Amino acid sequence: MSTEKKQPNYWKSLNELAQNEEYKKYLEREFPENATELNDDVSRRSFLRVMGASIALAGFAACRRPVQKIIPYTKQPEDLVQGEPLYYASAMPFKDSLTGLLVETHEGRPTKIEGNDLHPASHGNTNTYQQGAVLGLYDPDRSRYVRKQGNRSSWNDFVSYCKEQFADTSQRIAFISEANSSPTYQRLKEEVLDKFPEAEWVTYEPFGEENRLEGNKLAFGQKVRTVRHFDQCDVIVSLDDDFMNPAANKNNVQDLRRYTQRRTVASNDGDMSRLYAVESTYSLTGSNADNRLRLKSSELPKFTYALAAQLSRKIDGLEAFSQYSNEFSQHQWIEILTDELLGSRGRSLVTAGNEHSPEVHAAVAAINYALQNNGTTVTYHAVPHIDEENQRTKFARMVDEMQNGQFDAAVLIGTNPVFTASSDLDFKEALNNTSATLHLSNYYNETSREVNWHVNRTHFLESWGDGYSFDGTRTLIQPVIAPLYSGKSELEFLAAIGRGEQTKGHDLVRQTWRSFYSTNFEKKWKTALHDGVDSEGHFPEQQVRLAADFASQAQQFTANLKDSNGGLELVVRPGTTIYDGRFANNGWLQELPRPMTKNTWDNVALMSPSTAEKLGVENEDMIQISTSDTQIKLPVWKQPGHADNSITTTVGQGRSKLGRVANQAGFNTYPARTTDRPLVRHDISVKKLNETYSIANTQDHHSMEGRALIRETTLQNYRENPDFASYENAYDGAKLPGKKFAKEKGEKFAIPLFDEQKYPDYEPQWGMSIDLNACIGCGTCTIACQAENNIPVVGKREVKRGREMHWIRTDRYFKGDDEENPEAYHQPVPCMHCELAPCEQVCPVAATTHSDDGMNQMTYNRCIGTRYCSNNCPYKVRRFNFFNYTQEFLTSGSDPEIVQMAMNPDVSIRFRGVMEKCTYCVQRVNRAKVITKKKTGSVKPPDGMVKTACQQACPTDAISFGDLTDRTSEVSEEKMNERTYLLLEELNTRPRTSYMAKLRNPNPELA
Amino acid sequence: MSTTYEYVPKPALVKGDHDFGDITDMICETPLQKTPPLWYVAFGAANILLLVMLALIGYLFWEGTGVWGLNVPAGWGWAIVNFVWWVGIGHAGTLISAILFLFRQDWRTAINRFAEAMTIFAVMCAGVFPAIHVGRIWFIYWVFPIPNQMAMWPNFTSPLLWDVFAVSTYFTVSVLFWYVGLIPDFATLRDKATSKLQKITYGIFSLGWTGSFRDWWNYEKAYMILAGLATPLVLSVHTVVSFDFSVSLIPGWHSTIFPPYFVAGAIYSGFAMVLSLMIIARKIYGLEDIMNVDIMEKMNIVMMATGLLVAFAYLMEGWTAWYSGYIYEQAIFKLYVVGPYDWGFWILMFCNVVTPNFLWSKTVRRNVTLTFIISILVNIGMWFERFMIAVASLSTDFLPSSWDYYSPTWVDIWTYIGTFGLFFTFFLLFLRFFPMIAIAEVKAVMPQADPHYYEENGSNDHGKSGDNELKSNND
Repeated sequence: MSTEKKQPNYWKSLNELAQNEEYKKYLEREFPENATELNDDVSRRSFLRVMGASIALAGFAACRRPVQKIIPYTKQPEDLVQGEPLYYASAMPFKDSLTGLLVETHEGRPTKIEGNDLHPASHGNTNTYQQGAVLGLYDPDRSRYVRKQGNRSSWNDFVSYCKEQFADTSQRIAFISEANSSPTYQRLKEEVLDKFPEAEWVTYEPFGEENRLEGNKLAFGQKVRTVRHFDQCDVIVSLDDDFMNPAANKNNVQDLRRYTQRRTVASNDGDMSRLYAVESTYSLTGSNADNRLRLKSSELPKFTYALAAQLSRKIDGLEAFSQYSNEFSQHQWIEILTDELLGSRGRSLVTAGNEHSPEVHAAVAAINYALQNNGTTVTYHAVPHIDEENQRTKFARMVDEMQNGQFDAAVLIGTNPVFTASSDLDFKEALNNTSATLHLSNYYNETSREVNWHVNRTHFLESWGDGYSFDGTRTLIQPVIAPLYSGKSELEFLAAIGRGEQTKGHDLVRQTWRSFYSTNFEKKWKTALHDGVDSEGHFPEQQVRLAADFASQAQQFTANLKDSNGGLELVVRPGTTIYDGRFANNGWLQELPRPMTKNTWDNVALMSPSTAEKLGVENEDMIQISTSDTQIKLPVWKQPGHADNSITTTVGQGRSKLGRVANQAGFNTYPARTTDRPLVRHDISVKKLNETYSIANTQDHHSMEGRALIRETTLQNYRENPDFASYENAYDGAKLPGKKFAKEKGEKFAIPLFDEQKYPDYEPQWGMSIDLNACIGCGTCTIACQAENNIPVVGKREVKRGREMHWIRTDRYFKGDDEENPEAYHQPVPCMHCELAPCEQVCPVAATTHSDDGMNQMTYNRCIGTRYCSNNCPYKVRRFNFFNYTQEFLTSGSDPEIVQMAMNPDVSIRFRGVMEKCTYCVQRVNRAKVITKKKTGSVKPPDGMVKTACQQACPTDAISFGDLTDRTSEVSEEKMNERTYLLLEELNTRPRTSYMAKLRNPNPELA
Repeated sequence: MSTTYEYVPKPALVKGDHDFGDITDMICETPLQKTPPLWYVAFGAANILLLVMLALIGYLFWEGTGVWGLNVPAGWGWAIVNFVWWVGIGHAGTLISAILFLFRQDWRTAINRFAEAMTIFAVMCAGVFPAIHVGRIWFIYWVFPIPNQMAMWPNFTSPLLWDVFAVSTYFTVSVLFWYVGLIPDFATLRDKATSKLQKITYGIFSLGWTGSFRDWWNYEKAYMILAGLATPLVLSVHTVVSFDFSVSLIPGWHSTIFPPYFVAGAIYSGFAMVLSLMIIARKIYGLEDIMNVDIMEKMNIVMMATGLLVAFAYLMEGWTAWYSGYIYEQAIFKLYVVGPYDWGFWILMFCNVVTPNFLWSKTVRRNVTLTFIISILVNIGMWFERFMIAVASLSTDFLPSSWDYYSPTWVDIWTYIGTFGLFFTFFLLFLRFFPMIAIAEVKAVMPQADPHYYEENGSNDHGKSGDNELKSNND
């Protein structure tokens, strides 16, 4: 680009970052020639590239309004109406699971992802990873071409190389693949394994359900998948299992839906399940638990066995544990959990965290079995793509053999083991000792740099594929855009290796599916594509019974359990928003505040305040954590509610060469994991370093300061006092100011100073209700809003300055007298759309006003940026463009047109100096009004036709939105519920967004 | 029978044995003389600071409001603090000239010109901030009710709009008032000037003043009317500025005590600033006889009185917080005292509440050095008062989740320092080229101005006696 500003110490945005010399060199290397692209197939990419080049040549960067060229459709595609979005069903594969989605496209480019109502794993809901996928697609840092020894090559060359290299079928090939549920992939896998009899295949995931599967094998003798039915549970005991978190549960959307079904209380005679959490890190699940016990992860096995032992005294099936006892045997929680679980036999569920040992999972499986939960709250399924052999040990063995040069070739599909493999495996060395190494990945990542051939992979929105959801719903993945960077899918990659020829993903998938539909294929194929779900086919449920040798096995492993030494432990978990690092270059996910810490961008060493005190460290102090074999450096973050003597950190950060987003954030903590100890290290020592590292945190203050912002009570109290959420009850009988006078005057609300607009003199009138009892605080709404409303990523520096742009944020408060063990509460806060909006009163130029349908509108064109509205907003939901964030975000890199394609054309982007805020997705509202008016003549859309982005994405359906003049609408009904209250009601701002008070169902004995 | 009335002698307002000619010479000397080298040094320094301010404003316009330390709870920071502070300082001049004029406080003549000039330049400094703090400076004219093709008026319920009117009216009236007062003195300078340029320039500005009865008659009427107009403005401008805060609903802002409290605070800081400047100027320009210790003491008394009013207002804030039972108001008061910005609160308490109490002592009131120190402390205190109101209240408002700490950037700090450049550039020009004391008015309050002065002193010994204002014997 032609202009260059030098501000080395003022890191505002990605754009500026992109201007640093090193990165520019990196880019220059990556795109050595622009013009030659024209010789390629005519692709969107080449068009964009040339367009980008022409803009760069003309030096338009300095202009305020860049000139852009538009090409008209010479041939209008079918069904496409300019300006109208089209929705396609597809699915997002995540490890060996998948969730059905609808992808909104505008003129051929996907801009937003929604859940697919018809798909059982989604039911119209999504999680953060799915919402963030659109930005992942348009990530300009994705790998763009095939490389041979790091130099640019082509797919044709790669295929001819494969043909030659793999002509000899007797060679020993190591296939290291990510987990994949695709039947087509499975077919190709069998094909290559048939062709190369000496080849070995391992599924490698740094975090996965392998231990749970192994545990099931130990307990039942079958390697079967555990499917949990939270909707059938009265009592749930989570043993360090953060099942609400997408990082810890690949099926979290479906599981949350099931969980919420038993947590929704329509009136005070309702009932809800009870969730117990025993965990070290204060997790999302723990924050939603009714009772929570802090326990070091290294002590969890003992706790689990003690629970099994206690249960064995009351029920059959756990004889293996009857002789067992340890220091937890007398623990209050063991007594209580035993009573609770026994009291709801067949309606209870015990579940343990993925990374815990197979033995723990075996004990858990046995407990569930003994409690007769099998078949109701938990079912076991045989999954065709799961291999019988323990993949973790197999991976370790294969890496070892690779190091010894025992493999002729290594094919790595989608994984990044150089970065993610345990520290005891020198994967780099293994690659160096293998003569042919091939790697398929989205990014030119740590592994890609060490291999002979790197093939750039397609995003799932660009490629054909298929797969099974977690419990076996077969689904097609259809592309919604041609590959931006001419990438290849894993199917095409594998076919090229196996067959030595180029094949199209589409053909491969159809070929597989032909075997599913013996008759009427085209019609069924089209239906499956259209619906995004194939109704035929689920994983067969397995009837399991305890293995004959389980008792002896259990006696052995309980006896062999090593005592943890009582010292400090280090728990390594996947990152909540960036997972194992695969989403590390996604700015939306990096900037999403982590649910419990509200930190963005970096990973930290979480510890309880008392542990920090013991170590003599404060927030943002750097510490060095040493294990027997490695050392990692991390900044400290105090997490109230964390188990003492325990430090938690997350992986995936600390990248140096991945992309410009990822390279900025955090520290690499993978070295702290070993094959034996993927979760807990308890041989650590901590040293305070004489340096600090600043963390961009979005919430400084964690107490509600006695203000009834989140109103909550126990289920029991709700039954007795249905009116607990009213102002009077929330403030111990204090009267709502102005209420008495209003009553005398016959008014519903306190009487304001200024003339008020009377509602409703126009229909519809919009309103929102947020059920805090359903909300779990995951942050999906924030990402959905960001995707829908073109909200820029502002970068760590700006977040640190308190300038994050999220229109809907989730506040997290701690409550309770014990600072070490508080309760946590989540509250999403969008614009309240006050009827008497304080912001409207004070804007000197009337840039924020009310619409007829009751929305508080922000007129960007009129705004001069005094920020008075934000100051006067009691909810502080307004966001100001302190810099030209959108421009910075959308013009970074050398071909900014790519990230620009992610923008929603229905929403204007905001210029520097302009205030912005939640609009209730006015673009969606108005579209619905137009459609309704065209059909019926009225502008009143039927209930449910308008869904705001946050509402639609929410995995627990916590948000409802609709017309308040329709007394039967969902939102009206919620507003009439006695749990509904207004935030800061006493200010008489009359918010249109209301909250429904939270309920907990704690065990009174633990109160 | 004969009765003798002895008038209590009033101390002369001008010390030393000066007659009218002396006064004229003393004051006209500076504008008409060659520029002293020291002035160039001071002016140069002020110019550099002014350039710093202009450069930083340019940087701000180029980069965006983000170069300041603002964030989301604290949408206003130093810019608004500085605005209120400078406007407050800009209160003294018009108060001295207009209100004290109407109350016949003759001692005002020694400082009114000086204070008015300070007012105008302070308001100029203040005016910079509301203009530059907006996000899109190029649309700032939308705050004025200019008929336009969009048929959009500004929002008349917004206190910021009231600010626009209040401050611009105040500035206009202050400039007019100042200029009207200057006319007879410009004529004096015109008549005393020796160089042609000076003659012509002062001639133009003196608008053909002849010193005739009719000129004086018009002048006196105009001055009286303008004083009448300016008087409510003195009270209104800071009242309206306080509305920026009190009309909103943020705890710590939403308070009916703000208008009188702001006006008292403004006078307090304005007098402090006049004192600081006067103490330096009288020394340098040798005007200690006119701007004498008696005048300083009177100003100190006003400063103390307003200072105590302000202190009372602080107490009332605490009392209201407690008595209202309004938890947010209570919380913000507690957070002032013990909270993220408590250091600011205690600086403010020391400077604004403790400091004026030293002025109970006559010795302190008449001590130039101590007065100077106190006046500086008061100005610091008043800056922190605005800081606490604007920033601390915003940073910790209703929802604790959005609480965030505000800290300024170097751009904030240097822009503020730069406004002193703007102020002193103009003030030094004023000192150099304008009669810094109202010559005609000072003469009018000297004993010699009494028509019977020479009769009663019975001699041509002009101005040599005159300690006693009047002695009347009635046989």
